Amino acid sequence: MKLVMKFGGSSVANGDCMKRVAKIVSDFVNQGNRLVVVVSALEGVTDQLLEASEEAKKGNLNYTREFIEKIKERHLNTIKDAIKNQSLKKEIESIVRSIVEEIEKVLTGIAYLGELTPKSLDYVLSFGERLSTPILCYSLLDIGLNSKFLSGKDAGIVTDSNYGEARPLMRLTKYQVKQKLEPMLDEGIIPVVTGYIASTQEGFITTLGRGGSDYSATIIGSSLNADEICIWTDVDGLMTADPKIVPSARTMPEISFQEAIEMALFGAKGLHPRALEPAMEEGIPVRIRNTFNPENPGTLIDNKQKIKAGEIVKAVSLIKSVSLVNISGAGMVGAPGTAAKVFDVLGKNNVNVLMISQSASEANISFIIKRASLGKAMSALEIALLGQGIVREITADEDVCIVAIVGAGMKGTPGVAARVFNAVAKKGVNVIMISQGSSEVNISFAVKEKDGENAVRAIHEEFGLSR
Amino acid sequence: MRIILLGFGVVGQSFLQLLTLRYNELASIYGLRPRIVAIVDKKGAAIDERGLDMKKMLKVKKEMGSVSKADDKGFPNLSAEEVIKKTEAEIVIEVTPTDIKSGEPGLTHIETSIKNGKHVITTNKGPLALALPALMDLAEYNGVYLRFSGTVGGGMPILDLGRKCLIADRIISIRGILNGTTNYILTEMSEKNIEFNEALRKAQELGYAEKDPSLDIDGFDTASKLVIMANWIMGKKVTLKDVKINGIRNITLKDLMDADKNGKTIKLIGSIDKELEVKPKEISKKDVLCVHGTFNAVTFVSEFAGEETIIGKGAGGMETASAILRDLIDIKTNLSARMMA
Repeated sequence: MKLVMKFGGSSVANGDCMKRVAKIVSDFVNQGNRLVVVVSALEGVTDQLLEASEEAKKGNLNYTREFIEKIKERHLNTIKDAIKNQSLKKEIESIVRSIVEEIEKVLTGIAYLGELTPKSLDYVLSFGERLSTPILCYSLLDIGLNSKFLSGKDAGIVTDSNYGEARPLMRLTKYQVKQKLEPMLDEGIIPVVTGYIASTQEGFITTLGRGGSDYSATIIGSSLNADEICIWTDVDGLMTADPKIVPSARTMPEISFQEAIEMALFGAKGLHPRALEPAMEEGIPVRIRNTFNPENPGTLIDNKQKIKAGEIVKAVSLIKSVSLVNISGAGMVGAPGTAAKVFDVLGKNNVNVLMISQSASEANISFIIKRASLGKAMSALEIALLGQGIVREITADEDVCIVAIVGAGMKGTPGVAARVFNAVAKKGVNVIMISQGSSEVNISFAVKEKDGENAVRAIHEEFGLSR
Repeated sequence: MRIILLGFGVVGQSFLQLLTLRYNELASIYGLRPRIVAIVDKKGAAIDERGLDMKKMLKVKKEMGSVSKADDKGFPNLSAEEVIKKTEAEIVIEVTPTDIKSGEPGLTHIETSIKNGKHVITTNKGPLALALPALMDLAEYNGVYLRFSGTVGGGMPILDLGRKCLIADRIISIRGILNGTTNYILTEMSEKNIEFNEALRKAQELGYAEKDPSLDIDGFDTASKLVIMANWIMGKKVTLKDVKINGIRNITLKDLMDADKNGKTIKLIGSIDKELEVKPKEISKKDVLCVHGTFNAVTFVSEFAGEETIIGKGAGGMETASAILRDLIDIKTNLSARMMA
């Protein structure tokens, strides 16, 4: 089988982790599989790079110096623990040292200019993967595997120049990645590719933004028409609920892309809907697996919607730290364009809307936004809409949360909503707002923050998700 | 609308009182929902991103001397600049005391606010007298509004009358009595037959004049107001150094009595014509400008509409606070139009 395996930051956090990953890779190779490996930065490094570039922008050279020492030491320690062979160790140490020197030059440049453009930020952020990837490659060499490391750019991933959130030029990318990686696989080489980073057609480094390394893996997987894409992380797979809320929650063996995308939108760990797109288009299964528990088969996401009898709801998640805004006024009834104005104002102020509801009476519109943007949103809406004779009042319910229920089996099944709200009502939880898209694959509703966990447990129990 | 209030003296406190008094009306008539997210006084700041409890802040200030003493919202020693940069807000209201020499701290407050994309309302004449053309430029470049109705004539809408109400006409000249303190002193001298020093002492006792009365009696306050009117109403790019300034320190009882014989009196007149001038002048007692006590009066001479004069109380906490509120509603209306466009 041809497999693309992506290892997240926690999977390569230190030398022991690197060895564990090398072992997994080696096991799969020994079973006769051909592998491309995609790697994230060491856990936490990308955030540290972000912070270091902000400090550099302020001209803080002391911070830069300390940061450089810290990052060098962390990666050298990782090498020390991961690699036994002395000559390999020397080689990779010198590779890491020269990359660290490059970081120092870049950060110093930023500090002197006091300027951090999205382009230079992408350059800085790329260093996390550029450091982790050769180390993993050498860890593979150390246990006798044949491997080469490449950056996303070397592998052929080309994007537009939307730095920070670049989009691949998909057909060109697929062509180039195939040209580059397929011959390596044929020669029995395991390509180790940096996740998260790519380049423009001119060769400037870009990052893929949200979705990050997972996105790299699915792009490469779909380019090579892989048999499966494995996302190795630190959980067993996608779960029916957060086990911290529902101790009896379990890993789902299999779900559809559509369900996975709905869940990803609701913050399922280690997944961004964008990252699933390339795999879904090509119909390549994606498997979420646990580096620290490789025996577990994880969760398989594929295109085959196998709805088992009685399996209506698959999972329930909770989105915290959100607030509800309610806009009301009799003048809104039958006034076309009111909703457009509301969401236009929010959009112009960079406020993302998670959930929307308007009753047929049109006398009010409710929506849910991240709590951190509540102040900005309220102020902008009040300035724009109040005093125009249409909107009478704008109020906020600050501490709410969203309960989101996902399951392809809900589609066309009568009475699901009744069961959901009955279960919640039995726990004495009041539902503030409800939304169901016509895809019927998810139902979301808002409750007071203090009621959120109770509501999740009630639904988990009602639909027997622990079994 | 989120507001940062810099300075919490008479004007700042009056403004908060006015907001609490008119809160419901502001929302229903003007669609204005003010939220005071930060107040800064000399000893520190109080911050609440959801909006401070205004009545509580007035109480804390009265009982403990500084809003920074408010239990969970107070931040002793936090500087105004820090607050401007770190606190999310649309508007900064700058009401710290006037310093006519350096303009500080108001000048820095206003500059920092504008550069951070925050609209500014101020009643502080110092920064405007010294740098109004520069500040207007800076505000325009940054796409923010700079408003200062309260700097001229307290609650009287002098600036708006000149700029908005006489729109389409052309204002040729402006003259007026723009300082209540000096007008009170001159009125007292002539009515009570007393010398300048005695009248000044009385004004100080009544709180009309400062301990250091120079700003008023040497004509700087009037001159500052001329600078503001010249820039805002007539588009002249001038600052304080462009004004010829003479105060009333040397006016004697005899000068007033001599004038009286001809049916005249002496008033401190500020005028904008070809040049800007502050000077004690003899005017007829029948002149419409000839108001007494702490009153102010301004006459606009326009090309077509002729002369208009506005008379009123030119100072006071609540009066000035009402001018701030006017500016606030004006900015809200403009922003609203901008957002709905």
